[in-house]
Amino acid sequence: MAASIREKQTAALKRMLNFNTPPLKNTTAEPVWKVLIYDRFGQDIISPLLSVKELRDMGITLHLLLHSDRDPIPDVPAIYFVMPTEENIDRICQDLRNQLYESYYLNFISAISRSKLEDIASAALAANAVNQVTKVFDQYLNFITLEDDMFVLCNQNKEQISYHAINKPDIMDTDMEVIMDTIVDSLFCFFVTLGAVPIIRCPRGNAAEMVAVKLDKKLRENLRDARNSLFTGDTMGAGQFSFQRPLFVLADRNLDLATPLHHTWTYQALIHDVLDFHLNRVTLEESLGSEAGARPKKKTKKSYDLTAADQFWQKHKGSPFPEVAESVQEELDKYRAQEDEVKRLKSIMGLEGEDEGAISMLSDNTAKLTSAVSSLPELLEKKRLIDLHTNVATAVLDHIKSRKLDVYFEYEEKLMSKSTLDKSLLDIITDPDAGTPEDKMRLFLIFYITAQQPPSETFSSSQGDLEQYKKALIDAGCDLSPLNYIKQWKAFTKMATTPANYGNSGVKPMGLFSRVMNTGSQFVMEGVKNLVLKQHNLPVTRILDNLMDMKSNPETDDYRYFDPKMLRGSESSIPRNKNPFQEAIVFVVGGGNYIEYQNLVDYTKAKQGKRVMYGCSELFSAAQFMKQLSQLGQK
Amino acid sequence: MAVDITLLFKASVKTVKTRNKAIGVGFDSMKDDILKRDRPKNGFSTKAKEVLSNISKLKEFLLQHRKDYVNAGSLISSDLTRMTDSERDQIDQDAQIFMRTCSEAIKQLRTDAEKRVISVQMKEHRGAVLDLVDIYLKGVCKLYSEQRAIRVKRVVDKKRLSRLEPEQRGKVEKTPSEDMERTPHEENNVKPTCMVSVGGVDLWEDNKVEDELSPEEIQMVHSHEQRLALTQTNAVKDLKSLQIEGKVVEISRLQEIFAEKVLQQETEIDHIHQLVVGATENVKEGNEDIREAIKNNAGFRVWILFFLVMCSFSLLFLDWYDS
Repeated sequence: MAASIREKQTAALKRMLNFNTPPLKNTTAEPVWKVLIYDRFGQDIISPLLSVKELRDMGITLHLLLHSDRDPIPDVPAIYFVMPTEENIDRICQDLRNQLYESYYLNFISAISRSKLEDIASAALAANAVNQVTKVFDQYLNFITLEDDMFVLCNQNKEQISYHAINKPDIMDTDMEVIMDTIVDSLFCFFVTLGAVPIIRCPRGNAAEMVAVKLDKKLRENLRDARNSLFTGDTMGAGQFSFQRPLFVLADRNLDLATPLHHTWTYQALIHDVLDFHLNRVTLEESLGSEAGARPKKKTKKSYDLTAADQFWQKHKGSPFPEVAESVQEELDKYRAQEDEVKRLKSIMGLEGEDEGAISMLSDNTAKLTSAVSSLPELLEKKRLIDLHTNVATAVLDHIKSRKLDVYFEYEEKLMSKSTLDKSLLDIITDPDAGTPEDKMRLFLIFYITAQQPPSETFSSSQGDLEQYKKALIDAGCDLSPLNYIKQWKAFTKMATTPANYGNSGVKPMGLFSRVMNTGSQFVMEGVKNLVLKQHNLPVTRILDNLMDMKSNPETDDYRYFDPKMLRGSESSIPRNKNPFQEAIVFVVGGGNYIEYQNLVDYTKAKQGKRVMYGCSELFSAAQFMKQLSQLGQK
Repeated sequence: MAVDITLLFKASVKTVKTRNKAIGVGFDSMKDDILKRDRPKNGFSTKAKEVLSNISKLKEFLLQHRKDYVNAGSLISSDLTRMTDSERDQIDQDAQIFMRTCSEAIKQLRTDAEKRVISVQMKEHRGAVLDLVDIYLKGVCKLYSEQRAIRVKRVVDKKRLSRLEPEQRGKVEKTPSEDMERTPHEENNVKPTCMVSVGGVDLWEDNKVEDELSPEEIQMVHSHEQRLALTQTNAVKDLKSLQIEGKVVEISRLQEIFAEKVLQQETEIDHIHQLVVGATENVKEGNEDIREAIKNNAGFRVWILFFLVMCSFSLLFLDWYDS
C-alpha cells in the first residue's frame, strides 16, 4: 500500500478518463478530445483531485452536469461518471434517444443493479444506439478523498447519514437499514480501490457494530465469489507486497462528543471551524476599502483552493496558528529576496553588453537571464500563494480576536485534561465580549461532558449551579436544546461505559519573549496568547493505539473482531493475529472533524513506520454539529 | 478497481430484445442503422482531425531522422548514415513550412468556428479542441527547435575548437584541406574543420612528398587560397549570424515577456495615478480648510478681546457713576 488513497483514486479517475486504458507516458501524444458528464456526486469526487487544467490536459474539452441542458455535439465520445440512481438512468436514456454524442462510455460510481442495466439496454435499443454504448464500467469510487490519508463518504446527501439521522429517537428500522447500506457501500468501494481486505474491529452495541457486521458480510460474499471477486488478480498486484493486512477500526461518534465542539488552534482545523471550508475550498468575504466615509464597504466573495500542490499548505496545515503567521512572514521575506535578485541581473546585463570578446560570459548572462525569466512564473505562483495564505490567515485572526477564541481554547484544554481552572466558567459565560453565544454553549457543553459529576446530580447547591448556568446562558442568547440531548447522552453512556478520559495536556502560554518576537511580524498578536500545544491523545487516537499495538486495555478488550477472509465468522473478540499492525484505517460513524485527523497525523509522525488513514461519514464543523444536537434536543 | 460490465450490458440488451419480441413490440432496427451511418460528418471535426494527423506525421518524421540529424561529430567519415548539412537544412526548411501551414490551418479553423457556431457549448468545445491541437503543435515544434539548438551548439563548439588549432599550423595548410572538402559541396555551409583538417593534411602531406609543385599548380593553389580565404570569412560571418540568430530569438522571447509585464503594470500605474490625483486634491482642500480655520481663530480672538475691554470699561464707568 505504498501509494496513498488519494493517488490511487486519482490514478483510477485518470484511467477512466482515458477510456479505461492505462494512460501512456508519452509527453507529446496525439490528443483525443472527449466530453465529461457527471452528476453532483461525481463532481464532489473529482473536484478535490483534478483541476480544470488537468482535465484539459487529458483531452476533456467540456465538463457538464448530467441534469443540465446539453447541446448535441456529434463526433465526440462522451464519458459519463454518475451514480446509478433512477433519475440519472432516465436522463442517460433520454440522451441516448436524443443522439447527443457519438459514443458513450458509461462509468457508474458504485455498482449498478441488473434491472437498471436493462433499462438502459431497452432505451438503447429503442434509439438504435446499442453500438454507440461502447463500454460500461463499475468504478467503485463512491467516496471523496480530501487529503492523502483522509476521506469522507459524501457531501451531497449529508443529511441522510448525519449524526442526527443515526441518533434520532424516532428512527425506524427501515431508515436505519438504508443508512447502513449507504455507508457500507461506500466503505466497500473504498476497500476495493485500496485493494486490501482489512481486519475489522468495532465496539459493541452501537451503530458502528451494525456497520461492521454488514461490511464483513459484504466483503465475505465478494471473496467467496471466486469468479467476480474484486480482490484478486492484477488489481492486487501492487498492493499485496505488504504481507500485513490493514486494521480497520470503526468508532462511533457517541464515544467522544467533546472533540467536535472543541475550539481549535491548528491552521486547517481553524479554517474549517471559523471560515467556510468545503472540499478543500475556502470562501472568504473580503471588504474593499471604502472610498468615502458615506459609501458602504463593498464585500466580495473570494474562494481559494487549498490543494496538494501548495507546499506551504502541506507543511503548515497542522501547525499552531502563531507558527503559521511567522512562516507566512518568512516566506514573504524569501520571496522578496528572490525578486531583488532578479532585478539585480538587469543591471549586470547592462554592464556586460559591450564586451565583445567574452562571448562565453555573455552567453552565461543570457543563460542567467533566461533562467531568471523562466523562474518568473514560479515566483508569481509563490506570490499568489503567499497572498492567499495572508488573506486567509488575516481572516482567521480577525475571528480569533473578535471572539477571543484563544481564551476558549485554553479553557477547554484545561477542562479536558482535568487540570485546575483559573477562571470560573460562569465568568466566561457572562463576559459579553468573549465570543458568540454559540462559543459559550460549546464551552458549557464540553464542561458538562467532561465533568465527573455533572452539576445537576449532586447536592442541591450544585443544582442551583446548573440553574445559574442556564440563566447565564439564556442571558447571553444561547439556545439550550443541545443541553437536553447531552443530558440524555450522558445518562446513557454512564450506564454503558466509563466516561472517556481525554489524556493529559498541558497548555503553556509563552511569555513576553515570544510576544516581542511576534511584534516584528506583520500579524500583530497583542492580546492573543501564544499557546503551545503539548502532545495529547484524543480518545479515538488512544483506542487506535491500543488496537494497533495489541495492548490490553479495559476499553478495547471488549471490541469485536471480524476477519472476512476466515471461513467462518465468529462472535469472539479474541484476535487471531497477535502481531501489531503497521497500517490502520480509522472510521468514525456519525461524523468527524479535522481535530481528530490532526491528532492522528501527529500520532503517526511520532510512531515510525505506521500509516494511519482517517475517514468519517460526514465532515462537520462545530456549528453544524451544534445544529444537529439542538435538533435532537428539541424532540 | 473498475469492473468492465460491458458484456453484462450486451447480455441485457439481448434479454430485452427477446423480451420485446415475445411481447410483440418491434423496432425496425436494421434499416435505421444503415441509414444513420450516412449522417453528414461535421466538417469541423474532420478538418481538425486532418490537422492532427499531419502534425503526427511531422512528429514521426522528426523522430525518425533525429539520430542522423543530431549525429554530427563522428570521427569516422565513412559513416554511412551521416547526414550532410544540406539535407539538414532541407529538413529545417521543410519542417518550418509545415509548421507554418499547420498553424495557419488552426487559425483558419478558429475563425470558421467562430462564424458558424450555434450553441455556447459547441463553441466552447471547438475552442478547447483547437487549443489542444495548438498545444500538440507547440510540443512538436519544441522537438524540432531542440534538435536545431543541439545542432547549432555543436557547430559553435566545433568552431571554437577549430580556432585553437590554426594558431599552430599556418593558414596554408588549412586552406587546401578545406579546399578538398569544399569543392564538392555548397559554399554556404559551415564546415567542421578540425578533424577533417587533420585527415586532409595527412593526405596533402602524402601528396606533397610525391611531387614537386609546378609553377602553374602553385598559382592555382594561390588563387584557390584567396578564394577560400573569402569563403572562410563568409563562413565565419555565417557562424556569427547563426549565433546572433539564436540570441535574437531568445531576446525576442524575453522581450515578449517583458512587454506582457509592462502591459500588466500599465493598469496598475493608471490606478496609482488616479489615487495620486485624488490625494493632491484632498491635500489642497485641507490647506484651504486650515487657512479658514486660522482666520476664524484670529477673528474669534479679536472679538473676545473687544468684549473683555468693553466689560472693563463698563465696570470702570459704573464705578465712576456710583461713586
